[in-house]
Amino acid sequence: MHQTQRATWVIGIGILVAIGCGDSQGSDAPRQLAQATEGSPEGRGTAPQGSATISGTVTFSGSAPAQERIKMDADPQCSLQHKEPVTKQEIVVNPNGTLQHVFVYVKQGLEGRTFPTSSQPVTLEQQGCLYHPRVIGLQVNQPLQILNSDSTLHNVNCKPVNSKPFNLAQPVKGMKTTKTFTAPEVMVKCVCNVHPWMAAYIGVLSHPYFNVTGDNGTFTLAGLPAGQYTIEAWHEKLGTQAQTVSVGDGDTKTVTFEFKAP
Amino acid sequence: MTIIRTRHLLLIILAVGAGGLGLVDVSAFAESPPADVAAGRATYLQQCARCHGVTGRGDGRDAKRLYPRPRDLTSGMFKFRSTASGSAPTDQDLFGTLTNGLTAGGMPDWRHLDEPVRWQLVAYLKTLSTNFHDNPPQPLSVGTDPGRTRTNPATGKQVYEKLGCAACHGAHGRGNGSSAASLTDNWGMAIRPADLTQGWSYRGGGDPQAIAWRVLTGIDGSPMPSYAEAASPEDIWQLAYYVRSLQEEPRWTMIARVPRVVGTLPAAADDPRWEAVPRTDVRLRNVVSASGEMTAPPTVTAVSFKALHDGRSIAFRLTWHDPSEDRQPPDAFALVLQPEGVAGDVVTLQTWPLSDPPALDLYAWSAREAMVQEAIAKSYEPVLTGAAPVQGQRGAAHYDDGAWTLVVSRPLAPKTPHGAAILSPGRFAPVAFVVWDGGNAGQRAVSMWIDLTLQ
Repeated sequence: MHQTQRATWVIGIGILVAIGCGDSQGSDAPRQLAQATEGSPEGRGTAPQGSATISGTVTFSGSAPAQERIKMDADPQCSLQHKEPVTKQEIVVNPNGTLQHVFVYVKQGLEGRTFPTSSQPVTLEQQGCLYHPRVIGLQVNQPLQILNSDSTLHNVNCKPVNSKPFNLAQPVKGMKTTKTFTAPEVMVKCVCNVHPWMAAYIGVLSHPYFNVTGDNGTFTLAGLPAGQYTIEAWHEKLGTQAQTVSVGDGDTKTVTFEFKAP
Repeated sequence: MTIIRTRHLLLIILAVGAGGLGLVDVSAFAESPPADVAAGRATYLQQCARCHGVTGRGDGRDAKRLYPRPRDLTSGMFKFRSTASGSAPTDQDLFGTLTNGLTAGGMPDWRHLDEPVRWQLVAYLKTLSTNFHDNPPQPLSVGTDPGRTRTNPATGKQVYEKLGCAACHGAHGRGNGSSAASLTDNWGMAIRPADLTQGWSYRGGGDPQAIAWRVLTGIDGSPMPSYAEAASPEDIWQLAYYVRSLQEEPRWTMIARVPRVVGTLPAAADDPRWEAVPRTDVRLRNVVSASGEMTAPPTVTAVSFKALHDGRSIAFRLTWHDPSEDRQPPDAFALVLQPEGVAGDVVTLQTWPLSDPPALDLYAWSAREAMVQEAIAKSYEPVLTGAAPVQGQRGAAHYDDGAWTLVVSRPLAPKTPHGAAILSPGRFAPVAFVVWDGGNAGQRAVSMWIDLTLQ
């Protein structure tokens, strides 16, 4: 069923790339969406037709908590890959006072619309016994490629509630597996039990309007239809914040989320 | 309907007949009768709710006495399946777990319930979670069992290393891999990998077929992942037979013979005279807290020993698996004897020394002092805090890759402490064992009593 749907969309749409699939891809998102809507006539009618943009910054106030050091000594294949001490990546504040690893997405306002699913896989890489990226956005049924770049055993234990969970072994360097999530869920947590400091969070949505803040703390949700939206910013330790934003065709609006030190 | 009834009657007759001969083969009764969910629920409330809870959430009134805790049946997530990770088990999987129980775990077997009753339970269990609908069983194939003679332990060992099994289960399978102590299950509770040398302790069964299925499907809810996308069936069978070869056959016995040697007693673990001595294996069970709770996963589950005497003293060579060598809090060991002059029933160490305990003779060793102490005491304190007078020799202890070996000796009739147990040839002497694992929150594991008989 899902396979059939996906195949139809793939043929019809071409390359709709999910925005927010990596820390640094936010700036590429508007261009990719434009390609999807302009470049593939078969996709018209289901692809997002909008021209509004909501962008902004996620800031952090207060003093950033000291990052706890990860003890990787138990597995030399982990510790030998790092020259510098590795700290937990739970709260990462950028030099400009913005916050990394925040998942920003349209929570409400797109009900009743359907969106094509990107067939382009998003990669979750295990490298140096850390997940890269730590926070990912993904559309429902969009392939998630899980890659082990380490010469050690990782198990990928993803625990969605709305989709089928899985716990798969990747014992060999270079091993890949592709998974999909069949229902929206913010967030799906994935862990490696072998290396208990490893955690990744995946926001699964039925639409492509999401982004993850990177080292400049910004996000962009482009190609939105005119309307009123609830925009939510999610952080693994600092919780969620939401704002309501209305945009008309061609509008660009800027919002700022501020998270406070715990 | 009549046909179905007749068939069931026939099966029951066959079952009773075969049962009488001890030939019951569960797989022969794999056909599910029409599900009677209401009847299943009635049985569930009577038999299962005590541990799994009235609503199936794994929160029955006895749940905390068990480790791991009873499964939350409303999660729809089951450990022992023939299906892909994350998908529901087949009816046959559930029926098998009900019928066979989970070896060495809290889940008993339910063979004494009639087969149709077990099927009713299966039907009811499937109503407790939407997982059976949302993620229906996706059966996997483990290929053809090549049989032991067509596998090669050396190849299996290579697969064991390639697949990273040692990260949790340890290089020799003793459950002491570098990640073993930090594992948690999907509910956030500490969990330990199986000690693969103890085939009797594998919850899902220790035969190569069961091992192959566990490797293929993983154990959902636990850290054990599925290797369905990571290993070929050929590799899985090589691995299964290799893991089977790691198992050491236990010699559970209630009476331990203590042969007499001529000359001095062996003081070293590798003294060749130990070879001829019969080994005795004794199960250990962690004690529950005063509030009746099992608070940590057991790590030390058995002790093996051999003993010799020379008419004046007795020497023990003891070994037990403990995933970590700890000095603070220390790993420790005690041999428990009945003080001289005490006769009659012995007290169970599961509850000793909770309330008004009788005094026991504790002959103890700790990795911190590396010294043997003996005391007649009403608690473990004197021998664990170093307050007891030192008796006998230093314990010759050795820790290697998840296993302690300890050689201690004690006079058969010590002069101190006052009231110490006197062992003599021809007389049965009750003995029990206590092991503390400093690396597991100082958890205490105790045995039941067995008898030493000196020749």
